[in-house]
Amino acid sequence: MIAVADPAAPSVAAEENQPRTIAELTQTVSASRLSTWQRCRLQFYFRYVSGIRKAPSPSLHIGTTVHTVLQQWNLARWHKRQLNIEALKGIFLQAWAIWQDGEQIEWNGKEQSVKSTAWNVLQHYLRNTPIPADEKPQAVEVGVEADLSAHGLPTLVGVIDLVRSGGRIVDFKTSARTPDAKMLAHTTETQTSTYGVLYREATGGKEKGIELHHLIKSKKPKLVVNEFGPVSEAQITRLFHVIEAYVNGLERDDFVPSPGLQCGSCEFFQECRAWR
Amino acid sequence: MAVKLITNYAKRLGLPGYSSHQFSVSIETELPNLDNVAQDSARLYGSLQEVVDQQIQKTGFVPPDGYGMDGDKTGAWNCSKKQRDLIEKIIAENKLDQTEIEQLATGMFGLRLQQLNKLQASGFIDELLDRHGNGKRNGFRQRRSQRGTGVSKGATA
Repeated sequence: MIAVADPAAPSVAAEENQPRTIAELTQTVSASRLSTWQRCRLQFYFRYVSGIRKAPSPSLHIGTTVHTVLQQWNLARWHKRQLNIEALKGIFLQAWAIWQDGEQIEWNGKEQSVKSTAWNVLQHYLRNTPIPADEKPQAVEVGVEADLSAHGLPTLVGVIDLVRSGGRIVDFKTSARTPDAKMLAHTTETQTSTYGVLYREATGGKEKGIELHHLIKSKKPKLVVNEFGPVSEAQITRLFHVIEAYVNGLERDDFVPSPGLQCGSCEFFQECRAWR
Repeated sequence: MAVKLITNYAKRLGLPGYSSHQFSVSIETELPNLDNVAQDSARLYGSLQEVVDQQIQKTGFVPPDGYGMDGDKTGAWNCSKKQRDLIEKIIAENKLDQTEIEQLATGMFGLRLQQLNKLQASGFIDELLDRHGNGKRNGFRQRRSQRGTGVSKGATA
């Protein structure tokens, strides 16, 4: 059975910055949790089990702010409200301030230039988006969940950025580099498969496809849109195997580190080095 | 001294419609000594596997497409009961006009409130909370809740 994630209740993600029991973490699972666990089990432990709180990185702050503006832009199209570029700039500035209220982001004196980069890439997206100005969304930033207990698995939860007309799921991403198109289907598979399962459970129909809209924060901003077809049965089977492995791994306290390139941007590097 | 040998063979297979089924057989036997443990284990493995393979070919009931997606059958609503309850709670707490609610649903989805599927109902609840949430939300949906979850939604590098 599918049910809405109760918007009045604290979301799964909102509760991440506090210690959690393994029992709690295996009741529900999201693409974020699965991806973190797949990337590094020790990072998962620090983030979700220990609940160690870290200040957002500038990159995360940009992503959060950009998502907020795009969310408001999508909602405006839904309600046929006009949002000109000045109004969007106002939302951008407001979100930029709100999301760092009380946070200690390490700007290293570069906040203004980072802010400028973020606004530039947003403007570039709004000028070049493949989404027509009059296209009405099916859903915007919508929380959904799917009870997978019939498969012996936890409830799958997630928030979908946008569902376009016709059932095309869109996920917005900000990135410093242009993604490798061939690798993208592989590296994002857990997330895209999760969206497919959630969409089908919520609508009873199959998604038309999945689009990843990458806003590239290069000196000259770029937009890269990658389109994938509907999630396949094989991908869903893989996702279920990943969830099963996640549950089994958590239950046997399997939290060893996975050293690799990803460690360069890991917020728990110091904790990891101290791990025994 | 007799040695107890406990063996178990289990197999789980995928089925259409994201289903799976599994079957396992266990045998507990006594060996006179440890001399032939390897051979006895191999023999039991073969026997158990054959038994399980024979039985697991009978798949029994396999759910068809759309199975379990019928939503709330206690009324004419297409969304889940949990969603329906929340919508009705917001309407009651805020004494909202039913006609306006229907107009909002029609304006957003071109459907009557009861016709909304779970995805649409989720968006409709968000809209109700935006309009009547009594300050429970800051106008920017969900996003703050993504803080602390890492790079998955906001940034990839």
